[in-house]
Amino acid sequence: MKIDMKKFAAWFDERLALTPIFKYMTKKEVPQHGHSIWYYTGSSILLFLVIQIVTGIMLAFYYQPTLDGANASIARIMTELPLGWLIRSIHSWSATFMIAIVMIHMVASMLTKSYRKPREATWMTGMMLIVVSMVFGFTGYLLPWDDLSLSATKVGTNIPAAIPVVGKWVTQFLRGGDDVTGDTLTRFFIFHVCILPLVIFAILILHILLVQKEGMSVPLKDEVAKRRVPVLPFWPNFVLREVIIWLVLLGTVLTVSLVFAPSLGLSADLMAPAPEGVKPEWYFLFLFQTLKIFPANMGPVTGEFVAVVIILIGIMAVFFLPFIDNKPETKKGRVITYLSILGVIYAIVFSIWSLL
Amino acid sequence: MRGIRILFFVAMASLVLSSLAAARPAVPQAAPGPQAKVEVKPEAAPPAAQKAKPAAKPAAKKGEEKRTEPVVPAYSDIRQRSAVIVFYFWLWFSIAVLVYFLLQWVKEADRVYKAKYYEPEESPRKGNPMAPALGE
Repeated sequence: MKIDMKKFAAWFDERLALTPIFKYMTKKEVPQHGHSIWYYTGSSILLFLVIQIVTGIMLAFYYQPTLDGANASIARIMTELPLGWLIRSIHSWSATFMIAIVMIHMVASMLTKSYRKPREATWMTGMMLIVVSMVFGFTGYLLPWDDLSLSATKVGTNIPAAIPVVGKWVTQFLRGGDDVTGDTLTRFFIFHVCILPLVIFAILILHILLVQKEGMSVPLKDEVAKRRVPVLPFWPNFVLREVIIWLVLLGTVLTVSLVFAPSLGLSADLMAPAPEGVKPEWYFLFLFQTLKIFPANMGPVTGEFVAVVIILIGIMAVFFLPFIDNKPETKKGRVITYLSILGVIYAIVFSIWSLL
Repeated sequence: MRGIRILFFVAMASLVLSSLAAARPAVPQAAPGPQAKVEVKPEAAPPAAQKAKPAAKPAAKKGEEKRTEPVVPAYSDIRQRSAVIVFYFWLWFSIAVLVYFLLQWVKEADRVYKAKYYEPEESPRKGNPMAPALGE
């Protein structure tokens, strides 16, 4: 029986109304200028998100979020299941790549001032995505349930306790009790595989819709001078370039996963003292070091409290940056650019310092 | 285009490098068999025949065994190692070939765009009775 593909496509189109989307894609244009390379980071994040989902589902088939089963089930994945160690390694490395590119995407948007009017909401949803990605990393770090992940989670979940009024409640909520136990593990697993994916998809859809609605930003100097920037059609010119970058990134993440596959420590002992040299994932290092440099007591309050307040103010300032930097072409805008560069240097230096 | 060409050369170089990387084990060569990477106390170790059965025991039961060494990722046997080497060679070779063809496609797409082929007013197809109708 011969299938009429045109009729088949028309049937789908009639029900899903795909033609307007395709028409939009063929008419969409991407500005071409000296900073165009940063446009490619957005889709690269999506590539790593897809890898995370696929490998995460594969790991979830065998992972057991219980006190006895967590570490043992990962040991089983790594030793008994065919190429299980590689799947775990790809999951771990693609998370690292994803967060690295998310940060590059954010810094590029910050320095090119892409958050300026009318893209404030795009920036804010992007910031939410960064926070959710980091929470993904934080919750995932405990799941192997070894000494290092247990100690890092104890330190990490204790930080909110320094916030006045609600701090202790937040810590208890995160831990599912007063201390990190099997309940924390189950809680983190549910966050990692159920709640956070739903949250990230909801914000991601909104972020992508906003990007489509407002289009990609052009350099500030061109906008001020009202110069027309050359453009490139999204389809096929831009998409083809994106595919080339995806392929190279895919090969790179698979190669790195093979060569630097993570090992698995011994099962965590809740009664054991914290091992030496406990460090969080690399993307939390600068926050970790910031907390460390404050003394135990600073007058009537603790040093940790002061550090947490400063960090929260910093996060809020970045989140509301489009409203703070509302005149980017003026002197105030230039000062904010220098402060942004200073912030990036601070994060890099403190991360390196934390490793020393 | 220069950036894309650089990516192509990166892909080609990675093809060679990853093949070399895949050809050596991820850890110092361990004895064959997946269980070789997990050291267990002798009294807790099940017989070899039982261990060879994949997924024969639930993971929770495995947790009862006291591991004394961390689990280090490694190939379970020579067959798996060979499969990974072949896979990586195939992966980077495919990427290199695909990137090459995509580059040609990009070049052609850019040429067509610069020629304003799909813009009705300036298209070289305008007035050409042999050309297909615009907007197809």
